[in-house]
Amino acid sequence: MTRILRTELRRSAAAGAALILLVIGAALLYAAPQRWSASWMQLVMMQREYLVLLWPVALAAGAWQARREHRWKVAELFASTARPPAQRMVPTLGALAIAVVVAYVAVVAVAVPHLIGTAGYLPAAAFAVAGVGGLSLVAAAWLGLAVGRLVPSPVTAPGLAVAGIGLLMLIPVPNRHREWLTMVFSPMWGMGQYTDYQTVAGRVSAAQAVWLAALAVTGAVLLGSRVRWRALVAALTPVVLGAALAIAIVPRGDDFVAHPVDPVAQALVCAAGSPRVCVSRVHAGLLNEVTPLARQALAMLARLPDPPVAAHEDTTTYYPDTSPPLRADTILISVSVDADGHLAHPAEVVPRMVFAAGVDLRGCNRNWSMPVAIAVGAWLMGREPVAVPGDPAEVQAEALDLWTGLRRLPEPEALARVAAVRRAGLACEDVGGLLTRAAP
Amino acid sequence: MRWLTLYARSRRMPTALAVSTGGAAALWTLWSVCSDARDVGVPMVILTVLLMVAAVTVTLAGPDDALERTAALPWPPRRAAHLLAALAVLLVVLLATLLTGARFGPAGLVIRDAAGLLGLTALGAAAIGAARSWFLPLGWTLAAMVYPLPDRVWGQILTWQSQPPANRPAAATAAVLAVAGLVAYAVTGPARTSSAEPPP
Repeated sequence: MTRILRTELRRSAAAGAALILLVIGAALLYAAPQRWSASWMQLVMMQREYLVLLWPVALAAGAWQARREHRWKVAELFASTARPPAQRMVPTLGALAIAVVVAYVAVVAVAVPHLIGTAGYLPAAAFAVAGVGGLSLVAAAWLGLAVGRLVPSPVTAPGLAVAGIGLLMLIPVPNRHREWLTMVFSPMWGMGQYTDYQTVAGRVSAAQAVWLAALAVTGAVLLGSRVRWRALVAALTPVVLGAALAIAIVPRGDDFVAHPVDPVAQALVCAAGSPRVCVSRVHAGLLNEVTPLARQALAMLARLPDPPVAAHEDTTTYYPDTSPPLRADTILISVSVDADGHLAHPAEVVPRMVFAAGVDLRGCNRNWSMPVAIAVGAWLMGREPVAVPGDPAEVQAEALDLWTGLRRLPEPEALARVAAVRRAGLACEDVGGLLTRAAP
Repeated sequence: MRWLTLYARSRRMPTALAVSTGGAAALWTLWSVCSDARDVGVPMVILTVLLMVAAVTVTLAGPDDALERTAALPWPPRRAAHLLAALAVLLVVLLATLLTGARFGPAGLVIRDAAGLLGLTALGAAAIGAARSWFLPLGWTLAAMVYPLPDRVWGQILTWQSQPPANRPAAATAAVLAVAGLVAYAVTGPARTSSAEPPP
């Protein structure tokens, strides 16, 4: 059997299909590395989204392979051989399955060098997500084999690919208000990234695996059975059973969260030493880049009375709504990852932290004046306010005026005014005139 | 007339015609039943063109090319006429839907994609054989449809199938592919290595 399998791997469409899948998958990944540069979980989820192309290609590969027997006109010869048809089908099924799984894994392997230096957190759910992806390709290839045998025409393979992508795009349409149903039947759905802490629920992955396994079994049974309507109906039983079981497993209603957050990925990991600087576990690889910048900003703020003593990553997510508490002694910093896996916009970390003297404006937006926030930040950094693209010109001009005024004052008086702004900000009071009152 | 009938049969034109018009009719019905809008969604239009072009690939090679080549006939004009007739059939079927309740349009996009994809397929048939000639058009078009790049010129060229009909780089790309395919296929014919239906 091993020898036949080896021959089949060499002689069938398996190797070509694997190569095509690998090239398409790697090209899609490297066309937009910023979509998966933050973590391993993002990588495997992105690869699942790219099944929109890989899945139809696997279908077509199966159908293409099924044409071989028809092309060489040997069906009658094989039918007259006193051997069960399954014995002849298993090596073909095995070769195609091995090829598509190897290609899927190889696409991940191609992305490993890009992430290996920066990404650390590897949850078990990532393996489930990747496993479901590989299984979906096996199901597609086997289903393609079966359809290719039932409809032996040169147009079957391209037609099946078109039908496959059409199916993937149409599944969400009737289920617009039942996203959990779309999640079960479409292996590429729900993989969009809204935060770096995103994950896929275990029960969803389990339901998808059940459905795809049922689909794969159906393909294999269809391939091994004789072309009679009773056999075809029998082959459809696994699909029906699999669909029913998958729908029973998948969470629905209030239990279903479209883009769940992994609390472990979101939990904070802190740098050694003080003051305390923490980032989420999924960004732990960036801690060495964030810490010096955050400590530099905390040192600037330390001149104020009652200063902030720690900096934490802002792990706010909106769907579902999770947010860390706002505290006077802790500054929340947003950490985002660039296309190379490193900290995005490192030059903005310090200005953002000293902005408004370290007060988080989300606590009380009402009384805040942007020019004051910009001016105190610039004074603490000891440099002229830099124009932020998008800010109105009059805000910039006013901030520059306020900053110039602060610079003209003696150091202790200016510090007292900045401290007053921070106090008023934390207490949610009006900060409007605090910088411009008459000198004592 | 007799020559034409025999030629059409040897190239399995009835099958190709049935599959391509049947596929278009199925998608037309699907849209008419499922949607209230008169204009068919652009992805579906692109998929329909792709499906019809894929059906045409069957006709790009006969059962025995080596034998065909020995015939004392001027092949290049016939091959060119074959491609142009295929394009005409595609366009007649798709543009006829503009008069019905589910319109496969806009016309500019249909003409550009049909001509470009047919050219690309013919190019493939001349280079790697008719049986495999749909590989590149299919993969390229699916990718361009799902991830169109409308911002830069190279992106418009790279995803010409899914650009708006007025886009010039996309139209130019399609024209180049159409002419290159027409010339290459007319001059060299299907690649000798493999025909659509290799002999047993």
